[in-house]
Amino acid sequence: MTAHNIRHANTRHADSRHGDASDGAVGGRLSRVDGPAKITGAAKYAFEQQLDGLAHAVMVEATIAAGTVRAIDTRAAETAPGVLLVLTPDTIMEIKGASDWLGNPPTQKTYSPLARTVTYSGQHIAAVVAETFEQAVAAAALVEVSYDETPAIVDLSDPKAGDGIPIDAMTKEWGDAEAAFAAAPLRICAAYNTQREYQAAMEPHGLIARWQGEELTIWEPSQWLDGMARTYAEWFGVPFENVRLVSPYIGGGFGSKALALAHSAVAAASAKMLGRPVKLVLTRPQNFTSYGGRAATRQTVTIGAGRDGKIQSIVHRGVNETAIDGMWVEPLASVTSIMYATPNFSSKQNVVRVNTVVPGAKRAPGENPSAFGIESAIDELAHELGIDPLEMRLINYAEEDPEVNKPWSTRQLREAFAAGAERFGWARRTPKPRSMRDGKQLIGWGVAAGTYPVRRAYGEAVVRILADGSVEVESSSIDMGQGTYTILAQTAAETVGVPADDVVVKLGDSRYPRAGVAGGSRLAGVMTGAVYKAATSALDQLVGLAISDPRSPFHALQANTLVVANGRITAPRGDGPDVSVAELLASVGRDRIEATGDTMPANSTAEDRYKNYTTIATSVPHTEGDYSRHSWCAHFIEVRVDEDFGTVRVSRVVSALDSGRLYNPKLAESQWKGGIIMGIGQALLEEGIVDRRHGRIVNNNLADYLVPTNADIPDIEVISVGIPDLHSSVLGGKGVGELAIVGVAPAIANAVFHATGKRVRDLPITLEKLI
Amino acid sequence: MIDQTKSTTIPLHLTINGHRHELEVEPRVTLLDALRDRLDLTGTKKGCDHGQCGACTVHVDGERVLACLTLAAQVEGRSITTIEGLAGADGTLSAVQAAFLEQDAFQCGYCTPGQIMSAVACIREGHAGSDEEIREYMAGNLCRCGAYPNIVAAVRQAALEVAS
Repeated sequence: MTAHNIRHANTRHADSRHGDASDGAVGGRLSRVDGPAKITGAAKYAFEQQLDGLAHAVMVEATIAAGTVRAIDTRAAETAPGVLLVLTPDTIMEIKGASDWLGNPPTQKTYSPLARTVTYSGQHIAAVVAETFEQAVAAAALVEVSYDETPAIVDLSDPKAGDGIPIDAMTKEWGDAEAAFAAAPLRICAAYNTQREYQAAMEPHGLIARWQGEELTIWEPSQWLDGMARTYAEWFGVPFENVRLVSPYIGGGFGSKALALAHSAVAAASAKMLGRPVKLVLTRPQNFTSYGGRAATRQTVTIGAGRDGKIQSIVHRGVNETAIDGMWVEPLASVTSIMYATPNFSSKQNVVRVNTVVPGAKRAPGENPSAFGIESAIDELAHELGIDPLEMRLINYAEEDPEVNKPWSTRQLREAFAAGAERFGWARRTPKPRSMRDGKQLIGWGVAAGTYPVRRAYGEAVVRILADGSVEVESSSIDMGQGTYTILAQTAAETVGVPADDVVVKLGDSRYPRAGVAGGSRLAGVMTGAVYKAATSALDQLVGLAISDPRSPFHALQANTLVVANGRITAPRGDGPDVSVAELLASVGRDRIEATGDTMPANSTAEDRYKNYTTIATSVPHTEGDYSRHSWCAHFIEVRVDEDFGTVRVSRVVSALDSGRLYNPKLAESQWKGGIIMGIGQALLEEGIVDRRHGRIVNNNLADYLVPTNADIPDIEVISVGIPDLHSSVLGGKGVGELAIVGVAPAIANAVFHATGKRVRDLPITLEKLI
Repeated sequence: MIDQTKSTTIPLHLTINGHRHELEVEPRVTLLDALRDRLDLTGTKKGCDHGQCGACTVHVDGERVLACLTLAAQVEGRSITTIEGLAGADGTLSAVQAAFLEQDAFQCGYCTPGQIMSAVACIREGHAGSDEEIREYMAGNLCRCGAYPNIVAAVRQAALEVAS
C-alpha cells in the first residue's frame, strides 16, 4: 500500500482554501495528492520499511584512485561485536553479468561489485554486515586494506589524459563550416568549461534486499523499477517475475536513481548469503563516488557571422570525461546544432578516460553543458557586433530544425522571449557593461535560451472503477517529486468523470502494470497517455453496461451514450435517471470495472513489451516522422556583483517556458523553479574538487560541495507560454523536468559579463575569477 | 579508546510526541537512528548524517535540534517532537503543514519534515518577519528539488496565521 492512501482516513486540511472541483481536471492546480503523507511523516520511503531480522551493511571503499588491492585483512572486523559477514572480492557469492540499459548482452560472464583492480577513489572493495548499523560502521573501520598503487589520471587537465577517443556517432556536419567561417566578416572563438557536478539528492542511495526462496524483494528508491528488476534478475539468475522492486516515494533522483549499482548487488548478495533481509544505505561521502554525477566538459565554440548578426557558420568541438572502465558520452552539441538557423555546421566530440566513477545522468545531460557553450558564445557575438543579445537571438531564430530540416511540432520560443522580456523589463537595460549599478553593487542583466527534446516511449496502466464509485489507478511508474501521483489522478478523474478526490493512484511497485524509465522528462507524457487510454476503456465499459444491462436504470432509455460527470451518470439531455457510479454498479451487480491500457504499437509481442519497459532501446526519436519536437525556454536573470569582493548574487529571475500543455501548472511551475535553482548552483557554486595527489574528490559532503540554500535564492517568476502539442504526447504536453535548468548558467554568465565586463567561461563563477 | 570487542547497551526512556518510549541501545546510537531504526518514526529523515543538510531537524524542549548530531542518551528526560507529532490528534494539519501543502513547498518530500520542523521553530523564534529573514533562518535546511521560493511563501503564510 502506498502511504498516502491514508489521506482520507487521518488527515484533514486545516485550511480548505486550496483547491476546488475544477482543480482536479487535467490542467488544474490540484495540490499534491501525496502531499499530506509527506508533510506528516507518514510517507514511508523505500528503505524505511521495518522488517524482522533486518541486518545492516556498510560498504568499504578504496582510498587510492588507481592500482590493485594487494590484501584485505578482515580478521579484526570479523570478530567485532555483532558482525555477521565480511565480504571481499574473494568471499562474495558469484554474480552473473547483466545486460546494459540498451539491452545489450553482458560483456563479462560474471560481475564483481567489489573490485580487485581499482580505477577510482571510492570504488567499493569490501562490505561488512552486522546486527546493527552502529556495529557495521564500527567494524567497517577495522577492515585493513593494502594496495599496489599506480599513477592516476585525475581529471581532464591531467597531462596524462590526452585527447581521448573520438565518438563518431556524435559528429554532426552540414554545409562547409570551415570555409564559411574563414569567409565570415566577424569571427569569434572561445572555450567553455563545466566541472564535475553531483545530483546530491537529499535521500541517499540505498536499499533493503530480502530473499524468500528464489524470490527477491528490493525496497530501493528507483526511477526505473522494471529496468532495475531486470538487472537484479540477471545478476542472480532468477526469472524477471521473481524480482519485485518497491519504491513508493523517491527522495530526489535527478537522473541518479535509474540503475541498480554495485552496492545494490552487494546488498542483495549478502541477503542471499545470510538468509536475512539486509539494509544498506550509502553514506553521504559514498554518494559522491558510488555513481557518477555530471561529467566535466570542455567545449570550443567558433562562430562566423555577418555584420548583420546572421550566423554563417558554427564549428564546435567538445570533450567530456569518462571512466577508465566505463563509457559515458555527454552529448555536447545537442543544443548547439538546433538553437539557431545555421547554414554551415560542424561538431565533433571526444571522450577522455580518467580515474573516476563512470559519470552519469544529471538533469538535462548534454543539453545543459551544450547550452552553456552556445548561449555564452552568442552573447559574446552580440557584444562584438553591438547588437542587443535578445535581438541577436531573434535575428538567428530557427524557423525549423536546421539539423534535420523538419518543422518544429511547436516552438513558442519567440513568445517566451517576448513574455520574459516584458515581465523582466529588458527594454530598460543599458547595453554597456558596468553601466548599471546600485552603490557598490554592479548590476548585470543576462538572457539565454534553453531547450530539451521530447523523448517518447510507451506505458501501461490499469484503471479500476470500484463498487463505491471510486477509481483506482496502478502503474509501476514512480513519483520522485514530479507529481506523477497527482497528474495521473487528474487524468483518471477527468477521463472517467469523477472528482479527483475519489481517485487513488498506486505507483512504485513492479507488480503493477509496467512503465519505462522516469527519465528524459518523458514520464508525464507517457503515463498520462496510458492512463487516458485505460480510463477511456473503463468509461466505455461503464457506459456500455449502463445502456445495455437489463438491470440498469438507463436500459429503458435506449440512449446511444450517457454522461458521466462528478461521479454521477445522466442522459445527455438530462431526461432520464441521475444515479451515482456506485449505484449503477450495484444495480447491474458488478463490484468493479477494470481496464488495462497501453500505448504500445498494435501487434506488439510480449518480447516487445519486455524490451520496452526494461531497456531504453525502444524510445521514439524526437525527430521521427514529420516534426522535430522540443520544449523551449528563455531565462532573464539579474545579478548583483560586489565591486570590491567579486561576490555574485542572483537577485531576480524571470523565465518563460514552453512545455506544451501543462497537466498541472502548480506542480510544473515548482519543477521549473527547481531546475532554475539547480542551474544557479551550477553557475555559482557546484564543483567537485579533486585532490591532484590522490585523485580523490575532497568536497564529498553537503558542507563542502555547495548546493544552493534558501538564502541564495531570490524570487523566481515562471511564465508558461506553451500550447498543446499533440505531436508530442497524447494530451499535448512536452517535457517539464529537465528544461528549466538548460540555459540558466549562461544567462548568469552573460549577466555577470554585463555587470562587470568580465567574461567567465569556466564554471562555477566564483569570486576569484572576478577580482 | 572504545573497546571494539564489546558491545554494551543502556536503557533509555524517551518522551516523543508526548508518548514515553523505552529502549535498550548502545550509547553511541544517535537520536536519529533511534527514531528511524528502533522506534519506526521514519518521518525524521537522514540526508547526510553530519549535520550539514537539516533533514533530521526535530524539536527538543521546543528548540530545533539536528537529530543526527544528538545522541539518544542526551535527550533522556527531555521533550522531543518529531514531524509525526505536529498535526492534531484528529489529523488536523498544523498551520505550517497546511501552508506547505497549499504553497507546494516540496517536491520529493525528503527534506520536508526537517523544513517544517525548522519553519515551526523559525516562526516561534520570531524570525519570520520578512522574506529576507525567513530565507536566512531557513538556510540550514537544504532542498535539492529547489522548493525554496515556495517554502518562503509557506512560512510567510503560516507566520501570519499563527499571529492572527
